[in-house]
Amino acid sequence: AGRVWPEPGGACDAAGRSWAWCRTTRWRRPQPRRDRGRKCGAAASMADEEEDPPFEEDTEEAGGGPDGGQGKRKRLFSKELRCMMYGFGDDQNPYTESVDILEDLVIEFITEMTHKAMSIGRQGRVQVEDIVFLIRKDPRKFARVKDLLTMNEELKRARKAFDEANYGS
Amino acid sequence: QQVNSQEGLELASAETEDSTLQTAAAKKIKIEIKEKKEKKQKVDEDEIQKMQILVSSFSEEQLNRYEMYRRSAFPKAAIKRLVQSITGTSVSQNVVIAMSGISKVFAGEVVEEALDVCEKWGELPPLQPKHMREAVRRLKSRGQIPNSKYKKITFH
Repeated sequence: AGRVWPEPGGACDAAGRSWAWCRTTRWRRPQPRRDRGRKCGAAASMADEEEDPPFEEDTEEAGGGPDGGQGKRKRLFSKELRCMMYGFGDDQNPYTESVDILEDLVIEFITEMTHKAMSIGRQGRVQVEDIVFLIRKDPRKFARVKDLLTMNEELKRARKAFDEANYGS
Repeated sequence: QQVNSQEGLELASAETEDSTLQTAAAKKIKIEIKEKKEKKQKVDEDEIQKMQILVSSFSEEQLNRYEMYRRSAFPKAAIKRLVQSITGTSVSQNVVIAMSGISKVFAGEVVEEALDVCEKWGELPPLQPKHMREAVRRLKSRGQIPNSKYKKITFH
């Protein structure tokens, strides 16, 4: 129970609630009140900022907002982004709203890069060469990608050599 | 200098035959590459040493932060899922590795800019959304945030 398939052409159910997206197909599931996670004290003052917490929770059930459903999507990187922000210089407990903003930015960045990569080189596919081409003007990112890929190659070679050594004995 | 005279001799004696000329040119390139590699290795070793000295002098809080900085990463599964949901096709592992790497660099750029904004406004961490938004505005004006959504007006 709980999984209801939409009518063909239907965008909302009878109550005016839009369909929640799951990864592979559209189906509606009852939306629990979203747990906002650690608020680290100053949550009350943060509520004054543009994003009103009650409004954000409602968008999960009401019609999609103008930003194309990003308010509805489940938070993908909350834990990792918190650690990352601390590592980059923020407080040990960053504000949840800031983490949310950063997550939206990262997802938008990945989306843009993917779309651009799909439009160059081999159309419709994303390949490493396309990413490297797009990144060529940004020295930091370019160096990072080069390092990561060379390290990966070295690790693969080392693992292969290790396996072959074991196979002999 | 010694290498150049050696190459000069090789080239001079090789002018008679095309194949030996090619070998001489190839040798020259190989020597250049080898020298560059050695120089780069030396620079890397220096840098590694300096980093070791720096990290050994960190306070505990700095060590914690440095550990978070090095260890934090986006989960490969989630990135792969996200990219595949955008392309509709599967992507190779290298693409996922590259994408997570540059996303982390991107996040770092935003956070660093936001910390600059926070300091400039005379405030303290933790970062607030207004710092993040101002940071994004500045990065956008420098072209560091990709944006392909601007409205194209065909007929004006």
